[in-house]
Amino acid sequence: MHQPRDNSSPGLSRRQLLRGGGLALAGLGAAGLLSGCGGSAAASETAQLRFWHLLSGGDGIKMAAMIDSANSSQSAWHVNPTVLAWGAPYYTKLAMASAGGRPPELAIMHAARVPGYAPGGLLDPWDLDLLAENGVTPEDFAPRIWENSQVDGAVFSISLDSHPFILMYNTEVADKAGVLGSNGQLEEITSPDRFKEAALEMSKVTGQHGLSYGYLNDGAQMWRMFYTLYLQHGAAIELVPGQKAKVDRDVAVDVLEYIGSLLDDKIATASGDGGTAIAEFAGQDSGMIVSGVWELPTMINAGVPLDAMPIPTLFGTPAAFADSHAFVLPHQKSLDEQKRRDSYAFVAALLKGSINWAQAGHIPAYQPVVRSAAYKELMPQAHYAGAADIINYDPRAWFTGSGSDFQAYFADNIQNVFLGRTAAKDGWDSFVKRLDTLLSKPNPV
Amino acid sequence: MSASTSIRSVSTQQAPAAENKHAARSRRDRIHGWSFMAPFLLFFGLFLIWPLIHGIVMSFTGKSLTGANSSFLGFANYAEALGDVDMWHALGNTLYFTVISTVPLVLVALLMAALVNMGLPAQWLWRLSFFAPFLLASTVVSLFFVWMFNPQLGLVNEVLSKVGIAPVDWLNNPDIAMWSIVIATLWWTVGFNFLLYLAAMQNIPQAHFEAASLDGAGGWRQFFSITLPQINQTTIMIVILQVLASLKIFDQVYQMTGGGPGGTTRTIVQYIFETGFTGYRLGYSAAISYIFFGLIVVVSIAQFAITRKRSA
Amino acid sequence: MATTLTTPALTISPASSVPVRRKKRIAPSRIIATVIVAILAVTWMVPFAWAAITALKSETEAAATPITIVPESGFTFDAFAKVLQQGNIPQWTWNSLFTSAAITVVTLVISALAAYALSRIDFKGRKVLMVVIVASLIVPPPVLIIPLFYQMVAFNMIDTYWGVILPQVISPAMVFVLKKFFDQIPRELEDAALVDGAGRIRIFLQVVLPLSRPILAAVAIFVFIGAWNNFLWPFIVTNDSSMLTLPVGLQTIKSAYGIQYAQNMASALLAALPLIVVFLFFQRQIIKGISTTGLAGT
Repeated sequence: MHQPRDNSSPGLSRRQLLRGGGLALAGLGAAGLLSGCGGSAAASETAQLRFWHLLSGGDGIKMAAMIDSANSSQSAWHVNPTVLAWGAPYYTKLAMASAGGRPPELAIMHAARVPGYAPGGLLDPWDLDLLAENGVTPEDFAPRIWENSQVDGAVFSISLDSHPFILMYNTEVADKAGVLGSNGQLEEITSPDRFKEAALEMSKVTGQHGLSYGYLNDGAQMWRMFYTLYLQHGAAIELVPGQKAKVDRDVAVDVLEYIGSLLDDKIATASGDGGTAIAEFAGQDSGMIVSGVWELPTMINAGVPLDAMPIPTLFGTPAAFADSHAFVLPHQKSLDEQKRRDSYAFVAALLKGSINWAQAGHIPAYQPVVRSAAYKELMPQAHYAGAADIINYDPRAWFTGSGSDFQAYFADNIQNVFLGRTAAKDGWDSFVKRLDTLLSKPNPV
Repeated sequence: MSASTSIRSVSTQQAPAAENKHAARSRRDRIHGWSFMAPFLLFFGLFLIWPLIHGIVMSFTGKSLTGANSSFLGFANYAEALGDVDMWHALGNTLYFTVISTVPLVLVALLMAALVNMGLPAQWLWRLSFFAPFLLASTVVSLFFVWMFNPQLGLVNEVLSKVGIAPVDWLNNPDIAMWSIVIATLWWTVGFNFLLYLAAMQNIPQAHFEAASLDGAGGWRQFFSITLPQINQTTIMIVILQVLASLKIFDQVYQMTGGGPGGTTRTIVQYIFETGFTGYRLGYSAAISYIFFGLIVVVSIAQFAITRKRSA
Repeated sequence: MATTLTTPALTISPASSVPVRRKKRIAPSRIIATVIVAILAVTWMVPFAWAAITALKSETEAAATPITIVPESGFTFDAFAKVLQQGNIPQWTWNSLFTSAAITVVTLVISALAAYALSRIDFKGRKVLMVVIVASLIVPPPVLIIPLFYQMVAFNMIDTYWGVILPQVISPAMVFVLKKFFDQIPRELEDAALVDGAGRIRIFLQVVLPLSRPILAAVAIFVFIGAWNNFLWPFIVTNDSSMLTLPVGLQTIKSAYGIQYAQNMASALLAALPLIVVFLFFQRQIIKGISTTGLAGT
């Protein structure tokens, strides 16, 4: 296994010496007071860039490999990644580090979280000229992604990918169920009822379920599914501090009821968590799974005869929930210009090499990669690349985005709707009430 | 306060002898006193008194982690907190934990000390076993127990399955998670209370027991009629310290469950942390901090009052 | 220990740590008690043992079902080697050691000076100080994290050793433990020195401190353990992985490769090791320290 941490850089020898010294002292139980400089890195020609991210598992391994190859491609800088736990722990620490003035030179955030960070001065905007020097221009990004990267007219995030909620299906099961089109892909499904019928056909083939969907104790999963179908109605959610949340209640209730009707233990299991759903589809006990693109490698490794596509447009308007892993520049109290330049170079290198990232399931944001022949041949990724044109990020507010409290509030109010214990309208109303409370509070950013 | 009276008596004795000398000495004492206090007072002022005052000021503002929106709000934060369902939930969880952790932490410590104090061989071994976990950082304890409580791979469920008990989802079941944290906490800190009890028991004059033995009192009667009353003060102190320590719980919960599932183990300190740093609202978080502080003061005064009444 | 025998303060420590041995024939109740204590003790050792067994397995064995005690492929030190090579454990160990030692030294110095003044010097304002310091015992540290964090940002001390150390050096409880001890040192010893014309500082250094070695050691041990294991404050004030203490680092920093059980347990055991070793060497002193200073609270 290759290591993301450098053992090669000659400049680190003194630090390692001090570390060794620390250990030796610990072993002796002696309270050594050599000096206060144990943590300072040695002077080195290679700039050491601190880079925080929240990717682990398949994504983490891919990212480690990409960092390694970027590091070894030149000797001007060296990126040292730090991985923190996904979700609240990561975002809390990133905000605290930025407020404290000594944050990492570079970090990854979910693009939908950026509006909750940037206006308060926790992030620095990207310099488009400097990006262009590194061969990256606004035209290189899908329009929806680029549009979302801006807050108050400045670019605060450079997206590596978009990772929408998609549909993966088992081609053998679909074939036997007679729902494949002439091109060998799932037939075009354009109505909610047809989707149910197709799923039921598949459940007859598997003898278990037609569709895998896990949501228990997982607000993100509930939200992704709900928001995708809600948007397909052409409805929107607008959250403006100081005002009531602007939502389409009728659409929301319809969508919640429709999802509830899928969870009938025939089409999909009535109460399953994410792990159950993945295991079910990977074990070929269902024909389809709705999930994030990042589960793709798991399914490929499980040997499922697999294809994938954007979530079918059941309610008229093509739409899909998505977020992006995006590079951000945490605000430095005393900025090291050289390190900042090196950060740009590193980001450009990763964007240009993001065909590797596509293997983890994500849709590269950098269009030259998406247009490349290599990507067009990458299956089944190429089959859902179109989702990038219909993606929608979370409604903007300081409390929304991946791993935010927003999704936890959704879970608090909606889980019982999905479980059939609460009426859809009651669950929705209490969720909206919760949003109204949040919007009535002073905006902290 | 015995020292202060003795100092005074010394100075009054000297007073009539040499008035000037006395004045010079008191001046010198003042300089000496404040110089000796100065280093401590500097840190005490900077890192305790000042933040304590500044925290109150912050609690009246909308101060944010990002620096935005720090306008004066008056009591708005406090008013909001009193109507904040999540805060009450977190306070409730904290009180719940305090009750269900204090009882076993005192009783098990008492049991351990009473048994070890029966003059068992290899005292050092028992002390080592029971006290060693106390030396661990909370993180280490959490790593141990998260691993032991793992639903599929954990030792606890494995042992239970051997006796035919179905696997338990220790940290993800809302009805059980808090108890799992109590188990980890018991293992971690009971050794501290055990040591205090053991020291107290070993300080009981032997003559008490000898007299009781002559009267024909057995082990049980000796324990209830001599040992327990003799260590009464220790018990009171242990309970007071334990309640105050349990009210402040944060580490294990944050590390083992993160406050989940569904907020059922989120404690008030975690809620302070989350409103302040995850939600950026330092001002609001400061207000909750002082509500929590108020609770601690009330509990302390109540305990003090009860103790006074008992010992009076 | 010999020097302590000259002071009456001795009553608060050494006597209590000598176990009272009752010479009796072995009663059945004692056999039962031994069995119960032994079962409890074994139970108390299980988490250590299970962590050690896991840490000595390969990652695949550690995550394999059914669970085995002795892995089929035998025990291995791979997990320990991995965390020592790749991880930040050596750096975090150093950070913990340095900050804990600094906190202990500073706490000891400022608390002893203050305790001496409160115990011995009759200066104006002493009573008020006593009241203020007693009252401060009631302040729970978590209440201060929000304003203290803000203050650390203002002082530019986030992610520095200063930020970790300075707010941890105030310990009113330890001031009182020391004051109580100083109160019991006979004044005659100092008066004799005063007559010889010795100044306060010299009396403090040459008379009081040498007599107070056991209590100073107890306070030092108590403060060191507390600082070594403190989680909340270092967690608030440090973010950069090169600045974290062991407890904070183990909690905060994850592996890009996902959860690796054997390495997790190896890290945990490495983090536990220093204090366990110290305890094995200084068991008596530590237990005495806890018994004498423990009731003062933390």
